[in-house]
Amino acid sequence: MNKKTGAVIFPIFVVLSASLFASKHPDTLETLAINYGFDKQAKEMASIFAGYSFPFINNQFLSTLCAGATGLILIYVLYKGINSAVKHFTK
Amino acid sequence: MHIPDGFLNSSLSGGLLAGALGMLGFCLNRVLQTATTFANVPAVNNSNISTVLCANELSNNAGKYFQKLTIAALWVFAFQMFNISIQPVTSAHPIGGVFAAVLAGPSAGFLIISSVLTVQSLFFADGGIFSLGANIFNMAFVGSFLSYYIYKALSGKNHHLAIAAACFFSVLAAAISCLIELSISKTVSFTAAFKDMLSLHLIVVLLETVITLALLKAFKNLAKSKNE
Repeated sequence: MNKKTGAVIFPIFVVLSASLFASKHPDTLETLAINYGFDKQAKEMASIFAGYSFPFINNQFLSTLCAGATGLILIYVLYKGINSAVKHFTK
Repeated sequence: MHIPDGFLNSSLSGGLLAGALGMLGFCLNRVLQTATTFANVPAVNNSNISTVLCANELSNNAGKYFQKLTIAALWVFAFQMFNISIQPVTSAHPIGGVFAAVLAGPSAGFLIISSVLTVQSLFFADGGIFSLGANIFNMAFVGSFLSYYIYKALSGKNHHLAIAAACFFSVLAAAISCLIELSISKTVSFTAAFKDMLSLHLIVVLLETVITLALLKAFKNLAKSKNE
């Protein structure tokens, strides 16, 4: 495995660690919103992996891990798509 | 720091979304120019090079450049998922704007952070869709594009200090920009929340600096390859 392949694959281990050690506390902006009483203004959004959880998986660690892995795949596909489009249009 | 829908008024969200789209077009254009410029160099120097060779070279160079952008985007996404407790009731994650911009250039940095924010907003409900323009402005424009020029101005003197200064600017300026947007939308008073906003993000600065320095050290060779 060369270095670049490793650099593409290794983020899954960061996501794995993030799934294991992720904090359940609100983030900085949410904390500010709670402290200043405007947190209720936030509109809940319907999304397939809302809150970094994978539908149909009840285990929280696995759910976050699958959602994170899906995110990495989405990013990879997006950049592969741009690369393919550039190759196609510059030929 | 991802602003959800409902915190900002519609005119500000719309204006920032339009601005973000314009900036995205500009940065995408610069990134595509960079990808194609590498291959044009031998073509200008040597007119005998066949178009087939140029096309192959273009593909290879563009491929290498996009591989770098892909790596940066994957790492930024992974680290933005890394939410750690910074106070008894608060958590924070790094932005990765300085890492992306130093690794791949300011326009590519903007593009990388914007793409990550878009995926987070569309698929993970992390940041609102109508607030996406504001989030792109705060984290991609201020947190990555502008921060790169802080790094650039100081990198001649000390590389590590330049990264630390850029991270300091990146996180705090993005936080202040977020607070300005909230106060324009009359969600919270700027003067009342200023101190809390800064104190909450000072620990994020430390986290951002440590992770950015570690990642840029790990990707030292990749960072040396040509950018815009």
